[in-house]
Amino acid sequence: METEVRVSGVGMTPFEGDSQRPLADLAAAAAEKTLADAGVDPADVDALHFGNALAEALDESAGLANALAAALGLDGASADRVENTSATGASAFHRGVDRVESGTADIALVVGAEKMSAGDTRSVTEAISRLVHPREYAQGVTLPSFGGLAAGAYLDRHDAPREALAAVAAKNHRNAVHNPVAQFRKPIDVEDALDSPVVAAPLRLYDCCPMSDGAAAVVLTRATDEDDAGHPAGPRVAGTASATGTHAVAERPDPLSIDSVRTAGERVFDRAGIAPDDVDVACIHDAFTVLELIELEELGFYDPGNAWVATLDGDTALDGDLPVNPGGGLKARGHPLGATGLSQIVELVWQLRGDLPESRRVDGAETAFAINVAGFGNNSVCTVLRA
Amino acid sequence: MTGSNSGVPENGAAADRDLPADRAFACADCGRRWYYDRRRCPDCDRSAADAASVRLETGAVVATTTVETTPPDVRAPNHLALVRFDEVRLIAQAAAADLSPGDRVRFDGSHRLRDGPDRTDPRLVAAEES
Repeated sequence: METEVRVSGVGMTPFEGDSQRPLADLAAAAAEKTLADAGVDPADVDALHFGNALAEALDESAGLANALAAALGLDGASADRVENTSATGASAFHRGVDRVESGTADIALVVGAEKMSAGDTRSVTEAISRLVHPREYAQGVTLPSFGGLAAGAYLDRHDAPREALAAVAAKNHRNAVHNPVAQFRKPIDVEDALDSPVVAAPLRLYDCCPMSDGAAAVVLTRATDEDDAGHPAGPRVAGTASATGTHAVAERPDPLSIDSVRTAGERVFDRAGIAPDDVDVACIHDAFTVLELIELEELGFYDPGNAWVATLDGDTALDGDLPVNPGGGLKARGHPLGATGLSQIVELVWQLRGDLPESRRVDGAETAFAINVAGFGNNSVCTVLRA
Repeated sequence: MTGSNSGVPENGAAADRDLPADRAFACADCGRRWYYDRRRCPDCDRSAADAASVRLETGAVVATTTVETTPPDVRAPNHLALVRFDEVRLIAQAAAADLSPGDRVRFDGSHRLRDGPDRTDPRLVAAEES
């Protein structure tokens, strides 16, 4: 059953590789844009949920939610921090939806922020490497390692060419060209991706998302009508659902099976009362190009082995039957862990409101889907929005 | 034969969860084996606290990758294989990049897998055909 919760305001900072702004400033900037977009006075916010994954690991301070509440003037609001590795942003969003849906908050502000450049490459790599199971860590396994194993298995099983992965990267870079908040606005073609350095064979550099700085935010309400100042009630949250999977990736019976993705997808489609065919635009967690293909198949958008064909045929392009990652995805918009899931929601709200330029708009979109994935499928968090 | 793929415990209770790379846990009741530590046996629900450890013999490669961009304390390239030893599935370092899906493998040798930890473990190598 659809919730009564509306996304009444959205906003985000540009995603960058090396922002000059501190984490707290990034978060506050996204929050202020969002409150202005919603036409909400900070004093009226009664719940703040702040998503951040790596602050302590990168020597930032704790107590982020309380500091942000004070900085924004959310006097007396309840506040907490949400952490769910790469899916932190979507999990924070779900907490806010739950608060408003349950009636324990009338107006919730959800902010996700990350400043991955706060640490040197070694410390960031170490922090992300620690997301894997300790016995995997002992083998030097990293998230790109999982991506390489899955990509090799995907190409082998489905007799797909290497270009199938490169086409995902080229498509998402193309979508980011006209997105002013994207980290990479440079188009690449399939040959560029095929010629880039190997990271974890067969994955190459352009198959992998970058490390990013940035913040994104939403305001959630139960408004039903446009307010006096003309702020729309906003798209409805038709459904939210999440599911965990195995911590150790090797324990899955099939390297191309991500149970958490499939289960969370089934749950959210059931709760929203829709089927994959009803979705007009999707944000898919493409931390690696092969993940976009596997997730599209696990979620039921395509049969196993067909997502790569659909990608090469242009079905997932901006003007295709199912536009996927119209803002560039993690691949090109960027992946500041705590903000990514919220940036997917921001993008989809922009699409549903139709307030994007024609160069990057999915015309007539009424139903939107997002999946934000923790680790390599340790936890998947899905959302369906309706215009 | 002990310590084989039959799941016969080789060395008693595995109170130390930090097993060598070539060893899996085995349920003290039903013999079910698993590689990544858990609180209870996935089949019979017996507590894993008194699980034994068993040596893994030969397995089949499911997928491989060679990682060129490794963490600072892991040598590059890092050859990795996803391998099935019957019901046990794991990802481990391989000695070379010459493994392919379907190959039979076993653990062999003594190598430092990461810089720093004062321990060595075996890596995967191709198993000789019998």
